[in-house]
Amino acid sequence: MAPQLPTRCWRQLQQPSLQSLTLALTRRPSPSALLLPRTTTRGVKYGWSTLPSRAKPTRFNQVSSGLPAPTTGPAAALKRRERTTPMRTGVLAIKKGMTAFMGKTGSRIPCTVLQLDKVQTVANKTRASNGYFAVQVGLGERRADNVGAPMLGYFEAKGLAPKRVLAEFHVRDQSGLLPVGVQLMPDWFHVGQWVDVRANSHGKGFAGGMKKHGFKGQGASHGNSLSHRAIGTTGPSQGGGSRVLPGKKMPGRMGNERVTMQNLPVLMVNNELGIVVVKGCVAGPKGCIVKIQDAVKKPPPAQEFIEASRKVLDERFPDAAETLTAARVKHLQLKEMRKQGRIEDILAAGVVEGGAGAVAAPEVTV
Amino acid sequence: MNAAPLARRPLGCLKASLRQARQQRAPAFLARQLSTVTPKVPSTGALPEHNFFRMIDKKTKKTRSAFAIYAQPPPVPVTTAAKATAAKATVLPAPPPDPMPLLDAEQIKRMDPTGARTALFTKTRYAARVGDVLQVTHRRGGEPFAGVCLAIRRNGIDTAILLRNHLSKVGVEMWYKIYNRNVAGIEIVKRRAKRARRAKLTYMRQPKHDMGSVADLVFAWKKTRKVIGSRAGAGKGVQAVGKKRK
Repeated sequence: MAPQLPTRCWRQLQQPSLQSLTLALTRRPSPSALLLPRTTTRGVKYGWSTLPSRAKPTRFNQVSSGLPAPTTGPAAALKRRERTTPMRTGVLAIKKGMTAFMGKTGSRIPCTVLQLDKVQTVANKTRASNGYFAVQVGLGERRADNVGAPMLGYFEAKGLAPKRVLAEFHVRDQSGLLPVGVQLMPDWFHVGQWVDVRANSHGKGFAGGMKKHGFKGQGASHGNSLSHRAIGTTGPSQGGGSRVLPGKKMPGRMGNERVTMQNLPVLMVNNELGIVVVKGCVAGPKGCIVKIQDAVKKPPPAQEFIEASRKVLDERFPDAAETLTAARVKHLQLKEMRKQGRIEDILAAGVVEGGAGAVAAPEVTV
Repeated sequence: MNAAPLARRPLGCLKASLRQARQQRAPAFLARQLSTVTPKVPSTGALPEHNFFRMIDKKTKKTRSAFAIYAQPPPVPVTTAAKATAAKATVLPAPPPDPMPLLDAEQIKRMDPTGARTALFTKTRYAARVGDVLQVTHRRGGEPFAGVCLAIRRNGIDTAILLRNHLSKVGVEMWYKIYNRNVAGIEIVKRRAKRARRAKLTYMRQPKHDMGSVADLVFAWKKTRKVIGSRAGAGKGVQAVGKKRK
């Protein structure tokens, strides 16, 4: 294949602007001057190839060519996961412990109490910029001196206090995205709906084969010596491969892995206590962080409820968008100042604004 | 004994006091150098209230960088729909750090409006304790179950008692959730003569300590109650909780 001319060489020829036309009329440069770049970017010195600079696998498989839609790639992946992606974002919560609900008929339902602590939306991920739709949600609070500079800048741009944890919740499409900075309360869910709850299980430390994988162990007697809880052989010997097959279950770290409890009914939501109570147990110790989202394998909440809860958010936080814009503007200003090393000036100005003579005032130590 | 070394030890020395002074001073000094926050800047327009967090260079002692730290989110306003129904407050109160006791209290109030069940097992002089012989009456009829109380598992709404008895010479143990609707009443048949010095009387399962059947105790108690009842003109049990027995 013959070497291709880079686009920048002939683009001007194809779309002559008015200015370049007039220039061409007046100066009349030679065609070779227009075609060739001024500075050498290609040549033996920089490596040379006859292949096009970038392969185009879809060159002959355009959408217009009547071929079936590709079954791989980002678009296909999104389409494939459409049915198993919840419509709404979930929330982060803290596991507070287990209790029971006593029914009127004498039934007893064990349940887990999950508390929402200042759960706010922090960012939206979109198909255009990230390849998928998701809502980033933050929980709790964190001291500023416990946060690194990059994240301090991130929260500054959002107009939010630093959060303890951030997590993403995939949503099906654009309609699942939320305004940044709104606070999600327990009434984001309703009693009777199903949720999936994810958390990291209790860490058990280094555990043997019997505890970790339920191996049988070995005999207590019959001449057994020092291998009562041993895992036994790990594979065949010569002839059978004489190696340990990949994935062989062996002793090792047990627990502290993500466990999803699917289809838990919501028994109670209480905004005053900030809690969502779900039926049954949830992995992890008390105080662990859990993710609650609409169940994947059950029908989603009714469309009316989804719309109503969105409306409630808009009603509670009518100026979320304005706050975000203002915070972004402020962030850009401060960022520029930081770049120029003039942040001290801003601080001085800000402090004077806060109170007279505050520059000399003792600073609060964190 | 150790008089000689004690006498030799000096009462104080410069080195020790200096070391102490240095230790006391160091953290605050270091912290001030590393990071500080400025007084708050009030909210202007859409921008919420914030202050600045400074990062101070250790060597030059100058502000290396600073970031705006926004205030924690304000209380969430109550929606108009909720306002119309009941709530008078315009904002939701901050949730308590530990909701479990409040949730428990709420549940107990719902399941035990009179407070009789709670009173029977709160740690007072008149409360039931381990070692007492108790009788549980079921809501849907059936034979009441009596037995010696081996354990009280105190866990809010989930509080339960373990009763042990012998039925046809076989040891039988039953756990009862005291706030369960199926438990119609709990009565003290016989108090233990002396306070048990264990919280869980599991040793009473051993043949040596096993109380055996409590049927005769229950029989005697019923007899006395009838006598008292006939004298008083009413058949009420003093410790009866929940629904009245028919």
